[in-house]
Amino acid sequence: MSSWLDYTINGLIVGNVYALVAVGLALIFGVSRLINFAQGSIYLVGAYIGWVAVVQLHTPLPLTILVVAVAAALVGLIIERFGLRPLQNSVRIAPLLATIGISFVLDQLVMLTFSPNPRALPSQLPDVRFQVGNGTIGPLDLLIAGVGITSALLLFVFLRYSKLGWAVRATAQDRDAAMQMGVDVNRVNQAVFGIAAALGGVSGMLVGMYYNQIDTAMSLQATLKGVVAEVVGGAGNVPGAVIGSLLLGLVESYGVAVFGTSYRNLFAFLLLVVVLVLRPNGLFASARQAPPEPLTGTFIAPSRPVRIPRWALLVAAGGFAILPLFPVSFYVLQTLINAWLLGMLALSLTLVAGTIGQVSLGHAALLAIGAYTSALLSLTLSVPVGLAIIGGGLMSAALGTLLISPSFRLRGHYVSIATLAIGEIVSLVILNWESVTRGPIGISGIPPLSLFGYDLISPTSIYWFSLAVMVVLALLQARLLGSHLGRSFRAIRDDDIAARAYGLSLNRYKSLAFIFGGFAAGVSGGIAAHLYSYINHETFNTQQSILALTVVILGGLGNVVGAIVGSVALVGLPEVFRLAAEYRILIYGIVLLLLVRFRPQGLLGTI
Amino acid sequence: MTTSSPEPLLALSGVNTFYGQAQVHFDLSISVGRGHIVCLLGGNASGKSTTMKIILGLVKPRSGDVSFDGASLLGLTTPQVVRRGIASVPEARRLFADMSVRENILMGAFVRNDRDAVAQDLDRMLTLFPRLGQRLSQRAGSLSGGEQQMVAMARALMSRPRMIVMDEPTMGLSPLYVDRVLELIRTINQDGVSVFMVEQNASLALEIAHEAYVLQTGRIVLSGPARALKDDPRVRDAYLGGSEAA
Ligand SMILES: Nc1ncnc2c1ncn2[C@@H]1O[C@H](COP(=O)(O)OP(=O)(O)O)[C@@H](O)[C@H]1O
Ligand SMILES: [Mg+2]
Repeated sequence: MSSWLDYTINGLIVGNVYALVAVGLALIFGVSRLINFAQGSIYLVGAYIGWVAVVQLHTPLPLTILVVAVAAALVGLIIERFGLRPLQNSVRIAPLLATIGISFVLDQLVMLTFSPNPRALPSQLPDVRFQVGNGTIGPLDLLIAGVGITSALLLFVFLRYSKLGWAVRATAQDRDAAMQMGVDVNRVNQAVFGIAAALGGVSGMLVGMYYNQIDTAMSLQATLKGVVAEVVGGAGNVPGAVIGSLLLGLVESYGVAVFGTSYRNLFAFLLLVVVLVLRPNGLFASARQAPPEPLTGTFIAPSRPVRIPRWALLVAAGGFAILPLFPVSFYVLQTLINAWLLGMLALSLTLVAGTIGQVSLGHAALLAIGAYTSALLSLTLSVPVGLAIIGGGLMSAALGTLLISPSFRLRGHYVSIATLAIGEIVSLVILNWESVTRGPIGISGIPPLSLFGYDLISPTSIYWFSLAVMVVLALLQARLLGSHLGRSFRAIRDDDIAARAYGLSLNRYKSLAFIFGGFAAGVSGGIAAHLYSYINHETFNTQQSILALTVVILGGLGNVVGAIVGSVALVGLPEVFRLAAEYRILIYGIVLLLLVRFRPQGLLGTI
Repeated sequence: MTTSSPEPLLALSGVNTFYGQAQVHFDLSISVGRGHIVCLLGGNASGKSTTMKIILGLVKPRSGDVSFDGASLLGLTTPQVVRRGIASVPEARRLFADMSVRENILMGAFVRNDRDAVAQDLDRMLTLFPRLGQRLSQRAGSLSGGEQQMVAMARALMSRPRMIVMDEPTMGLSPLYVDRVLELIRTINQDGVSVFMVEQNASLALEIAHEAYVLQTGRIVLSGPARALKDDPRVRDAYLGGSEAA
């Protein structure tokens, strides 16, 4: 039985670890208004470099810390130089997407090098605990606190007394003015990426030692926690990030004390959403201060879409429709079924992210809501599967829109953070709401697809069913885009201030977009549930959200045909080249990076 | 053309500038003689600030040339331009609001490495701008507009520039500070620094300038010695046209 003091100590120690990640995020946001989604990957790399040093090279602890810091800093410098600097004049979403791509690539490289199995990372410190009041504290706690405090002091001295530190602060406050003082902004970027990466890498290593375990799932969690802490403290505010981290650590620790371990992350993301909605500039932003520029304006690469004649679309649709009449393998049909399901999700996301400009990073949550609703309706209430799927779509439309609505007032990168957090919250609620969702066990024995009493079990019938549903959704969406409503959506995306000045109600239109998009995604999730017959809280995860985003960027944001072409390409190409599954995510990351760099408007152009 | 010295310190020749599709400068040619104060007048949105950005390398022209002391600035980044000896007092001052006044002034010496001389120059600034002495450790953002303008000018001087470019240095200041700023510009110039300033307030600027250009929707419509332009009715007309077009 742990005491409250123990939970406090644990909260502060974990908060210290978060602080090392969040301070880096704050430095980077400060100078370049970018949320670095690759920060968690550097943390992961740091943990594994630490493992190599400790377990294979048997380095003493101080040397291990040094090696990790230097190696991680190098990774940070490489990311800045080759991943981000070429994007300086691109559209504003480009660097954010690039850091997402980089994080996929780094995580997969680590996974391919070290295998996804967890490893132990011993701390080399004596395993003793000292009594403090009615709690205990160990040498590793002291080490983490020491590293945290030392880093904070070094950072303070750097920012306050070194020339480069002054340049960092000046750039954070006014980039153009700093350049006019002769500050080389590229060097400032390099400096903050190097520092952020060194701190992040050391943090990953310390966490590995704290739990004596490292695995590749650490990466996304670290990014999310760092972002939560940073936003709570006020984006770009370095001392705020430290306080936000400690606060987050304590909230989580006390939450675990009261409700149990599986609630840890739920508290983190709820805290984030509450802060984003109530105080988007963080808890400590002073009133007189202008908010950090929320990155507004045109988010997508403007371009002229490729015109595809109607007959070509008809021929393509007809070709795919009669495909099962030819002797094609089960495998090809299976792959295309996956493409049609992803296509529905992409239709949804291309509407939300492309047409109305809300770049959602949590879209898989809509799949999950649709899937669970449809599965439970058919299992527990014996609703016919066809109706249950429609029920899933409606529930996704309603619940998804309701959940996202608090973030309608946010703009730019903040929308992406909020949707990411809401996606995580949905998955955590599914995990914890055992009486309805059966919690971590998941739902099995979901009845197969059926329509008007006929089971759709053969691959051919499933293929036709999913193709038909996708085509209907695509036609509806195309109609929508050509209507007055579609034009209003695009007006809001291109200039929400002007749109409001013309009397458009932003909330109403954003809701309409999410309702339509939520329905399409929910239907996709519903079909998937009956297809898989088993789902759990991890079936629809952030990786799928990012995959969908890559698909719609590949096809061209806002482009209906592009969403489908992108799905077929991203699902199909790895199959054509018979790539092993573990390389797929790597390929997706690389595709995203190449697109952002060389063809931000996608294959068919943005609409 | 009116420059009196044979080779100007700064010369823009045939500059055409675009923001996307929109053309902001049409065949712009301006020169600033060594040791002179040259003023660019024009109404709102006539392209004055963009001219400053072209000189500083913050915006690149589509065609034409910008040369300083005989060498082109076009291939240079903004920090490189600053190192050539051009300092700026940007529009709306653009101080580093959360840094102290002392830090702001010293940021002006960012390109210098002679620490002792920098310290001396800081003292010199305090004699030139005595008010700032009591404000050194205050947050720059907490100063009044006039005081902020003093900091911006001190900051620009700290790089020991050969030329200072100023974007509407009197904008938003009380009449008392306007006079003070104009006087300081004259003092700075007498110490050998050339000045290129952008102004909306023609009558004030023409008091201290040697030469002036009038910009109207991206075209130079009038130029000459300040004394001659002061009484020219076309200056006023150009203005009215300029603001109507905006
Ligand atoms: N970054 C920019 N992007 C697009 N247009 C701009 C930008 N900056 C200025 N403009 C436009 O260029 C024109 C000239 O602006 P500016 O040089 O700031 O004028 P001034 O300083 O004379 O008021 C204006 O019409 C302005 O709207
Ligand atoms: Mg201006």
